[in-house]
Amino acid sequence: MSTTNGWIGKSVKRVEDKRFITGKGNYTDDIVLPHQTYASFVRSPYAHARILSVDTSAAAAMPGVVAIFTGKDVAEVNGVPCGWLLHFKNGDPMKEPKHPLLVTDKALHVGDAVAIVIAESAAEAKDAAEVVMVDYEELPAVTDAFKATQAGASLVHDDAPNNICFDWTLGNPIEEVDAAIAASAHVTTLEFVNQRMVPNAIEPRAYNSSYEASTDKYTLYTSTQNPHLIRLLMCAFVLGIPEHKVRVVGPDVGGGFGSKIFHYTEEALLTWATRKIGRPVKWTSTRSESFLLDAHGRDHITKADMGFDKDGKITALRVKTYANLGAYLSTFASCVPTYLHGTLLQGLYTTPKINVDVTAVFTNTCVVDAYRGAGRPEATYLLERLVDLAALELNTDPVELRMKNFIPPFDGITQPGYQTQVALQYDSGNYQGVLKKGIEMLGYADLRKAQKEAAANGRLLGIGISTYIEACGIAPSAVVGSLGARAGLYEVGQVRIQPTGKVSVYTGAHSHGQGHETTFAQVVADKFGIPMEDVEIIHGDSEAVAFGMGTYGSRSLAVGGSAIVKSIEKIIEKGKKIAAHKLEASEGDVNFENGKFTVKGTDKSVSFGDVALTAYVPHHYPKDLEPGLDFSSFYDPANFTYPFGCHIAVVEVEKETGKVHLKRFVAVDDVGNIINPMIVEGQIHGGLAQGIGQALFEGADYDENGQLTNGSYMDYCMPRADDFPMFETASQVTPCPHNPLGVKGAGEAGAIGSTPAVVNAVIDALWSAGHKVKDIRMPMTSERVWRAMQS
Amino acid sequence: MQLNGKHTVNAAPSVIWKMLMDTDVLAKIVPGISRLEKTGDNTYKSILDIKLGPVNSSFTGNLQMEDISEEKGFALKVQQHSKIGNANAAIKIDLLPLGENQTEIQFDGQAKMTGLLASMGQRVMGGVSATLTKQFFANLEKELDKQ
Amino acid sequence: MSVRIHVRVNGVDYHHDVEPRTLLVQYLRDTLRLTGTHIGCDTSSCGACTIHVNGKAAKSCTMLAVQADGCEITTIEGLSNGIELHPLQEGFRECHGLQCGFCTPGMIMTAADLLQHNPNPGESDIRHALEGNFCRCTGYHNIVKSVQYAAEKMQAVQQNKKEVAA
Repeated sequence: MSTTNGWIGKSVKRVEDKRFITGKGNYTDDIVLPHQTYASFVRSPYAHARILSVDTSAAAAMPGVVAIFTGKDVAEVNGVPCGWLLHFKNGDPMKEPKHPLLVTDKALHVGDAVAIVIAESAAEAKDAAEVVMVDYEELPAVTDAFKATQAGASLVHDDAPNNICFDWTLGNPIEEVDAAIAASAHVTTLEFVNQRMVPNAIEPRAYNSSYEASTDKYTLYTSTQNPHLIRLLMCAFVLGIPEHKVRVVGPDVGGGFGSKIFHYTEEALLTWATRKIGRPVKWTSTRSESFLLDAHGRDHITKADMGFDKDGKITALRVKTYANLGAYLSTFASCVPTYLHGTLLQGLYTTPKINVDVTAVFTNTCVVDAYRGAGRPEATYLLERLVDLAALELNTDPVELRMKNFIPPFDGITQPGYQTQVALQYDSGNYQGVLKKGIEMLGYADLRKAQKEAAANGRLLGIGISTYIEACGIAPSAVVGSLGARAGLYEVGQVRIQPTGKVSVYTGAHSHGQGHETTFAQVVADKFGIPMEDVEIIHGDSEAVAFGMGTYGSRSLAVGGSAIVKSIEKIIEKGKKIAAHKLEASEGDVNFENGKFTVKGTDKSVSFGDVALTAYVPHHYPKDLEPGLDFSSFYDPANFTYPFGCHIAVVEVEKETGKVHLKRFVAVDDVGNIINPMIVEGQIHGGLAQGIGQALFEGADYDENGQLTNGSYMDYCMPRADDFPMFETASQVTPCPHNPLGVKGAGEAGAIGSTPAVVNAVIDALWSAGHKVKDIRMPMTSERVWRAMQS
Repeated sequence: MQLNGKHTVNAAPSVIWKMLMDTDVLAKIVPGISRLEKTGDNTYKSILDIKLGPVNSSFTGNLQMEDISEEKGFALKVQQHSKIGNANAAIKIDLLPLGENQTEIQFDGQAKMTGLLASMGQRVMGGVSATLTKQFFANLEKELDKQ
Repeated sequence: MSVRIHVRVNGVDYHHDVEPRTLLVQYLRDTLRLTGTHIGCDTSSCGACTIHVNGKAAKSCTMLAVQADGCEITTIEGLSNGIELHPLQEGFRECHGLQCGFCTPGMIMTAADLLQHNPNPGESDIRHALEGNFCRCTGYHNIVKSVQYAAEKMQAVQQNKKEVAA
């Protein structure tokens, strides 16, 4: 198709920044509706408790109280659903206990909501909620995914024996993998915990729901990553109200990182309550509530064995994981430790035999679902820890060991995609390229020398490598449907050319920091050859945008962008018909380039704007052509996209204290074609901070009673500005062969590759001083590192 | 949370014991207590006002003495409720005679917390319990001086 | 019971009756509808609510509105004159120092305080000064660059002024 005036590939400054830097952003909590009321929740202080009685009488008499609802009042309403059905190995469907909007008999985790209090002000709602008397009988709690499956463990749900939601396996038959491991010259074994992470978007979740009796219509403002999906789940599965009677708006959203994908109980409850009281209801989570309620990430307990032959080639991989799902099934909880984790265990390697076995477990903790990377960081962590550890055990260089085992380069066009042992087919890759570039940027050979010298002087320097692949651009609907997804994962893009040639673009993707208003506008301006100011990106409003699946899984540009490109193509196609008529040429002779329709071999041309005007003022117009220039497209990808890269960490460990100093961090990422390098780099930086945060600082700690003991910013170690060095980043470009932009997605890469790089670096530092430890539990606090050195 | 420690006071175990069994004295020496009511043999109802880092909170609940061994020790069970969470503790208290007029008071136990106390308070809790313990023994010595 | 306060916010005088327990950030957001100042936590840790009180950066969630009685307050909405951007605002845009934008007002206000008393901060000065402000999107890399950009720009402006004066 025609191109281009060069918007694609430029670090264009972001369009959306103007409002954010001047304080004019419009987040959900900024919205106040006429006759607004405010909600506060009565939440269980126990992780597992029978609710003996709830007395709201004192609260009801408090000043400003408008209404109080308990579990009994919403008993007839369904719970929030899970969007992905998995089956036990024996074919039985997974256990899907009801996740009620308010609990009636039993609270299953700290923070489970017992009642909602609605009042004239937020303070009055909180005051009244504090005097709701709930009589609890505390029950024993389970918090650890492995222990919860053992005999005698207390049950979270009576109908889920051993607290197991489902078990699942993928890959080659276990007998074959066992045999290959047994026959290996060397086996590296690692038992580890990929700890529970709290996503911590800085904007707490907020909802504001209203009901207009005259039109029988609801409006829900919500801090979500996917307004249409929320509308679908809430209307069709929870409340049973007609979808066309509900408008869901995701205005400016202050970060998501996965935690704002899911349909939360409060969204549905506020929408139910607004109709009951006939006034708008608003609730903004406190940070303390966010810690207890916003779906956490990771939380795997894993044992993995990787076999090697005598030449250092990987022979097999065997993985057993216990995945903690929390107290209920969150929207995508079931697919994260399975289809987003097990399918990535080929990594970048030619491993011929792979088997992964996952047991998904209920516990009395906050729900666990997708957090930046979702399953893929867990897979990468597992593989890259094993490979680096094997290099140490085999006394071989970790770069060499990787190079030896990498899948050879393939472009996916002239060479076929790579079929893995775990269902996926990679699209295109050049894994040697990113590792080579990474070690060049680092000055690897010199650093290894420096490491030896440091060790001789009693200093502990470590170099940790990680090479990753991820499956993004989620996802081909037929594929995910066959795997249990209860929704398609296409995207919608509508392009409306206004009569004056200005362009309104409606996308089902949602921006909560990614900069769609810039990147998408670059694509459109580039394809039409028009100024970027002439393009407006509209997103986040179910009433404005036809439909959409939202933003997660690094899918916005690969899927949402592709849908827009399809509509652009339709517009150019129709524009050529109009231009041919205007220029009295045959349609086949009309070209579109740089904002102009031209006729081959002549100097005749008509501008994009003229054609737009003609489409809306069709006085002289092709006979059988409809007026207007407005197309909508659904794009369903042919495959996932597979970004990959190489991350390298350099650390120094203080011998006396165990403190880890991150000295350098090099990241070479291949996310396919790049529309806006500045934005891609920013996405990588943010991911790195979260991935490094997991390695060094963060992790939710539940005590044995199910109390989250670090549920505030005073206690949970969020990475701060002085925790990081400047990141050293670079790109390699291996285009995606199956979408029109050749893009692969950049949102999660940083969080996927970085965690094992840092841990590997610390382990490497310790080995350099003769401490042959296999694992240090994350986050690698000074104490843990120091203890590892003493053992 | 673990609670343990010891403190030596210059009085015989019998004197200390008498003080610990006296509701009025207890009300004076337990830090933060604003009301202490005997509700039965060895059970009390209490209201405590305690400063936890930046937060002042009022706790209501029960204190219970069990496994009483005259002049030697007892087990203290504490159940307290507040707006910021609940606290349950079981503490073993022992009086060890060191000489004629000297006793070592030992305590060893565990406290379990819920709600905000658990998720936000843990970091300050160690310091708070150390302060309260110090105050308790200081108050005890003050009362001893009076007697 | 409510208490009468008088504050000057972004150059405008306000007189309001407030409940004594009202936090300054709540007063700014709910009463004055200056929603550029954000609330990201309940422990005064995140810095999203940072404003200037009598010219110094303060977390507006750690102050009661009544404590601000008689104070001069600047919020993100009042940082620039409405026509030109403040060099920090410009720096954040030029260097991609923001993504979701939620922490940005607080970041900018904190950085503005830094540049007032340290016009030429090094990387570690900047990182140290921003310790009380969380950003979950950027990894801080581009925020550091944004502040450096602003520092350079402000110094260049100062230099120009001096040269003109001379």
